[in-house]
Amino acid sequence: MDDGIRVALPRGDLRAPLAERLAAVGFAPAGYGEGSRAYRFSVEGRPRVAVRVFSDEDIPIQIALGNYDLGITSRSSIDELVTRYGHDSIVALRALDVGEARVVLAAPAGTTLDELGARRPLRVATTYPHITAQYLNWLRVPDYRLIEVWGQPQAWPPEDADAAVLDVPAGDGTPEVLDREGLEAIAEVHRGSAWLVANRRALGEQDLREVLDALLELPARPPAAEGVQYGPLRPTPLVLDRRSVEARVNGFERQDGALRLAVPDGHAQRHTVEALATAGIAFEGYDEQQAVRRPRSAIEGVTVKVIRPQDMPQAVALGRFDVALTGRDWLATHLAAFPGSPVVELCDLHRSRYRMGAVVSEDVPAENIAEAVAYWRRDDPGRSIRVASEYVELADHYARERHLGRYRVIPIGGASEGFVPDDAEILIEGSETGTTLRANRLRMIDVIMESTNCAIGSTVRPPGARGDLRDRLVERLAAAAPPDDGGGPA
Amino acid sequence: MTSERTDTALRHALTAPAAELRSPGMHDLGPDEMRRFRAVESRFLEVTGRAGYDEIRTPTVEPLHLFTGAGTLSPQMLDRVYSFLDWDGWSGERVVLRPDSTLPAVRWHEEQVSGQTSRLCYVQPVYRFVPGGGQREQWQCGAELFGLDAPEGDAELLRLALDLLAALGVEGVRVDLSHTGLVRAALGAAGLDAAAQLATLDRLLDGDDGAIQEVIWARPEQAGALRVLFEIDGHDAGYLANLRAALDPVPGAAAAIAELDAAAGVLGAAGAEFRVSAASVRNFEYYTGLTFRALAGDVECLRGGRYDGLAETIGGSAVPASGFGADIEVLMALAEGGA
Repeated sequence: MDDGIRVALPRGDLRAPLAERLAAVGFAPAGYGEGSRAYRFSVEGRPRVAVRVFSDEDIPIQIALGNYDLGITSRSSIDELVTRYGHDSIVALRALDVGEARVVLAAPAGTTLDELGARRPLRVATTYPHITAQYLNWLRVPDYRLIEVWGQPQAWPPEDADAAVLDVPAGDGTPEVLDREGLEAIAEVHRGSAWLVANRRALGEQDLREVLDALLELPARPPAAEGVQYGPLRPTPLVLDRRSVEARVNGFERQDGALRLAVPDGHAQRHTVEALATAGIAFEGYDEQQAVRRPRSAIEGVTVKVIRPQDMPQAVALGRFDVALTGRDWLATHLAAFPGSPVVELCDLHRSRYRMGAVVSEDVPAENIAEAVAYWRRDDPGRSIRVASEYVELADHYARERHLGRYRVIPIGGASEGFVPDDAEILIEGSETGTTLRANRLRMIDVIMESTNCAIGSTVRPPGARGDLRDRLVERLAAAAPPDDGGGPA
Repeated sequence: MTSERTDTALRHALTAPAAELRSPGMHDLGPDEMRRFRAVESRFLEVTGRAGYDEIRTPTVEPLHLFTGAGTLSPQMLDRVYSFLDWDGWSGERVVLRPDSTLPAVRWHEEQVSGQTSRLCYVQPVYRFVPGGGQREQWQCGAELFGLDAPEGDAELLRLALDLLAALGVEGVRVDLSHTGLVRAALGAAGLDAAAQLATLDRLLDGDDGAIQEVIWARPEQAGALRVLFEIDGHDAGYLANLRAALDPVPGAAAAIAELDAAAGVLGAAGAEFRVSAASVRNFEYYTGLTFRALAGDVECLRGGRYDGLAETIGGSAVPASGFGADIEVLMALAEGGA
């Protein structure tokens, strides 16, 4: 049977330059270059070819699983998967002259690698946990803790981590993303460009010429300049006196006496600014138009920092913040992973309301998840149910709680509505109005929770004045929260 | 609800291929294999018990920093451990399924009998990722000796290893000897600082034989010493004499060669074949002195060496220590009919 040829292409920054190059070799998925919100494209003159758009970091696993035959993705995303799991099912065919980037270890200006290596523990915020762990192992760092963040690892040093590992553009000099945080690149951890990759079995068994003929014409990356290496970069090992063991410290204890508040940027920013304003609180540098890293607070004894809402529960658990304004969805995800985590909801802000639940295709003839599972397994009782989600721990918790039996959680980085039905049976996703789900012929079959934004803090009230300050801040926020009308989203 | 789940599980069990019900790299031991396993285990405990070794068992889950901090595992091995965040791992502090038994034994010694000579042995599994169908859970038996310096400690362990293999009926045993102190001294004399030595040995562990060649070509005046050490496998006292001559001016070499000489004497007295092979060292950072591995034909049946100073890396005392470990299923295969 001819299933056609399935090609995975990235969205994000690679999209525009890649679309230009694809068009030049006569491979033009209609609408890809314009940044259409669609996830699936056909290719003019190639009826057997189906193109699907993914977040860049999701493409290697889709190729490794064999869900897609060919793909284009960044070398760092490939190596993040291969470093940990050693997938030989991905064959890298051609380095392309697009998307050249570096992954660097960044720390406050003036810090040396030797100083970092000697810290016990060395705290590193990263979006590349596997590449980072391998690099630190090569470096022989005796004791490190990785803070696996959703984004902006550069926001963590110096007060909340010793260093950060992140992508920066290729080129010399301190990248702007580091410069504005007072950081500099201490070491290069990885270097790469975009690559054309293929599934090994597809290459061995399937006629892919219809696509390969064109994609192998894409301009290749020029040969490496002298002294420049690509892929995970092996450092010269640090030589540390391992016998001089100092007492290990918690590594996250705070010395300052101020109350630390974390506020979010991105989608959650507008609702948070509203919640603060209604409570009569404003921070200089944090409003609907802007979010500087450390807004200034007029409330004596309160310091404020902007980080990703997804990372706030962990930051609070670590004791880095006394109060954080995040979503109940992220608190639930954190607690699904770490049930004993000392983080608790302090008050519901009743804004940014949406439902989180199990989403399936409209075509599944089922009234509830048990019926849906029976439908998927009607011909094969042992079939594994694929559950895709950005909320990995929540999805795993859901699958266990609903007794899905054999299941597989597929962690994804975005473009989520495109996963069902072809690449997953279930998507664990949030929906405010249901419009996007309907547009993609999906429906929520099971509601897991109703999420709003909230203030979170430690289960242990901070001592002394800091505790009083936390109580007063939470009281003001709670008093200003709109009444819970119980209506919920559509 | 329960009956529905049971029904689903049953139907799954009846229809899914058996291999899919087992995690890759994990395997069962059936009744016959268990009988053979217990036979090897009891021989091991008999032999070590006679020699004064007491059995211990350590936890399956350990903090990852125990292994990264002590440098007991090479980066190649650290990339293949089963590490994860425990249910209370929000601090980012990972735990690991025990990838090695020596360091837990060192910790036990330091916690319970620090400052005393102790002889410990264990039978327990270790967990390391192996791609494809290779075994990821390996049952190991091993012995650790604390408080006895070289060459007496090395001699005791070599004799214990030979006794064990003899008790199991393993025939045609050959022992490969090496010495990390000697390797370090030779590379140091060739101008490699500690970091460059580690980088060179990392490449050797990755199977890159060119690493030593680069050093040799860069320092032709050291070529004789390096070639005798790395490219020639010696089988008798003559080789050790040549090694002594080639490495004579290298600081630290003489003491290391004397320890090799003593070990060769023990093996010779026991009638065991041996070979001196510098490149047989597999964990340069972990070991500090003599290292050895026993082979039956081409099959490695046990491996060990001296790791003085390891206890200090976890905050313990400066205790001389050495040990060896073996894969029980390898011993089962070698001991067919003998155990």
